[in-house]
Amino acid sequence: MSQFAVLAASFMGAEGCGNDLTRLRPWPAPVAEALERGEFEALRWRALFRSEASRFGRMDLLSRLGLMAVELLDASFDTMEPSRRDAVGVCVETRFGCTAADVLFLQTPMAGAFACTLPSTVLGEICIRHRFRGPVLCVLPVSGRGGSLEIATGWLHRGEADACLCVACDLMDKRFAASMLSPHDAPGEAWQSCAVWIGRPTGAGREHPLGSDSLPRLARSLVASGVPARNPGAGVS
Amino acid sequence: MDSTMTAPPVAIAAGGAVTALGLGRKPLEQAVLANASGLRDCPRLAGKGFQSTVGGYVPDEVWRSLRERDPAHADAPAFLLADAALREALADFSSGGREVLPVSPTAREASCESGVLDAVPASRRGLVLSTTKANITALEAALDHRPGSVTARRHLFPALLAADLAAAHGVAGPAQCVSIACVSGLLAIQQGALLIQDDKADLVFVVGVDLFSDFVLSGFTVLKSLDPVGCRPFDTERKGLSLGEGAGAVVLARRETLPSLALRVTGWGSSNDANHLTGPSRDGSGLALAMNRALQKAGVAPRAIDFVHAHGTGTNYNDAMEGMALRSVFQADVPPYCSSKGLLGHTLGAAGLLETLVCLIAARHQLLPGTPGLRTPDPSVPDSLLQKPRPAQSLRRLLKLNAGFGGVNAALVLEWGGG
Repeated sequence: MSQFAVLAASFMGAEGCGNDLTRLRPWPAPVAEALERGEFEALRWRALFRSEASRFGRMDLLSRLGLMAVELLDASFDTMEPSRRDAVGVCVETRFGCTAADVLFLQTPMAGAFACTLPSTVLGEICIRHRFRGPVLCVLPVSGRGGSLEIATGWLHRGEADACLCVACDLMDKRFAASMLSPHDAPGEAWQSCAVWIGRPTGAGREHPLGSDSLPRLARSLVASGVPARNPGAGVS
Repeated sequence: MDSTMTAPPVAIAAGGAVTALGLGRKPLEQAVLANASGLRDCPRLAGKGFQSTVGGYVPDEVWRSLRERDPAHADAPAFLLADAALREALADFSSGGREVLPVSPTAREASCESGVLDAVPASRRGLVLSTTKANITALEAALDHRPGSVTARRHLFPALLAADLAAAHGVAGPAQCVSIACVSGLLAIQQGALLIQDDKADLVFVVGVDLFSDFVLSGFTVLKSLDPVGCRPFDTERKGLSLGEGAGAVVLARRETLPSLALRVTGWGSSNDANHLTGPSRDGSGLALAMNRALQKAGVAPRAIDFVHAHGTGTNYNDAMEGMALRSVFQADVPPYCSSKGLLGHTLGAAGLLETLVCLIAARHQLLPGTPGLRTPDPSVPDSLLQKPRPAQSLRRLLKLNAGFGGVNAALVLEWGGG
């Protein structure tokens, strides 16, 4: 199977945030200014969502970004039958992983900070929040290949999952990146986060070919254009 | 729906290792046979305030030889270890896997003459790296304002380390980097097998590496998870884990291209506990899910498993959870099982690879490995726990388990045999 069906998509970046229903909306001015200064604490859960997220304040910034992108999908995961949650695969991709959390831990070595020093911490937070117990993977794409869409499509194809959540998130201090990496390796974007909720092709016009786009690019374009016949909670119940 | 029913079987064609026991698979093999431990006190940690100074660290003489061989990477230790393990695996593969697979002399000659490695174009070679912290020592150095090479800093980022390893070993096909806590190694093998089954590569080099770093020692110290005297998996007196470092590598290939006996990768499964970030689910249900998925993928019933190589970290919660997961899947007939954390320490991203190599050694010798560090088995875990190695009547199907932070679990079914 070289196709998957997109059920919902979300995107967050410097330009704004949104999903395929709401489309991309700019940040309110104070938030945009804070983000421009690299103050990611300005991204508060309650500013975007009505739901509760009791652990959010204790999370590292990368996990916050990933969890927000999933919530932005507006996919009504809370109404999902418990048995179906065992068949939801979660695949996270991140180019630069948890270096921000690593720096924080080295500066302040505390247990809570150490727990966040894995690129896959965000995956754990997503699974805890939504009780997803299906197949899991966290990859750091090499040369733009082998990303989460390809992996999740394989799970669907082989019957290892019924639906999959693909999440891409990155957060990198540009000054830190410049001190550690050559200009060629340093990230173009300081931060972004996105999520795409996918299932098997059903012929409903939501099919996408595998390999044509990276996850962030696909999510960005879906949020800009919308997913055909998309309803809140589509594919969940 | 399951296309892997018709997918070509994938097997481990060769292997390589660098561990606390020394350079190469040979010292690892000898220690497995002798139930020896590579854990020892680390003098350089004295006075640093860590909960334990005992660990499975690579000996100084091995580091010296690796740095002399490759001075360009002298301050990029993750690369040095991974590269050394890969070199051994590839040399082994080029010579027909004679150290890993007891092949017939004719088959070995044939594979040597045909130059099997060179015969595979670079575009059909893949690489999967497994690591949790890559070259984390470069970050420690940077924040301490100590000098560091561009390469060392570059390898702080796992994907860039993977790219450099691929380039160094002639891989122009698919390259992946898996970083999902302590299940990284098993899921890297899974990803490697899929690259072959999906016909994206003919050979896949899977390598796992992690370092015995102050960073990780600090982390487990603040979590109070280290056993001061060295880990004692499944022991009544267990107090925590011991960290280790090293690299393990395997070459995966289509089973039909390999001579004689081989260890096939027949099933895999993963899951999430959806429960806690640093602690396992108390009932073992998440690991049991992963085990059942792997068994289903392999098309075998639990009773067909001859041996389980457990995660067995030596922490109270992990070992208790694992005991429950084993009972959940195997009921009253839990196969013999062991842990190698007392052999090598917990090598994190390398653990899945190195422990799979232990499975390979076990299959090759038809031996059930023991559990170094275990003195008094915890009566609450299944009593088929292996304290010391013993000959196996028939060791054909093996189940390898790992679990990690973020509630992640993974299982791999391996099958030893010919044809």
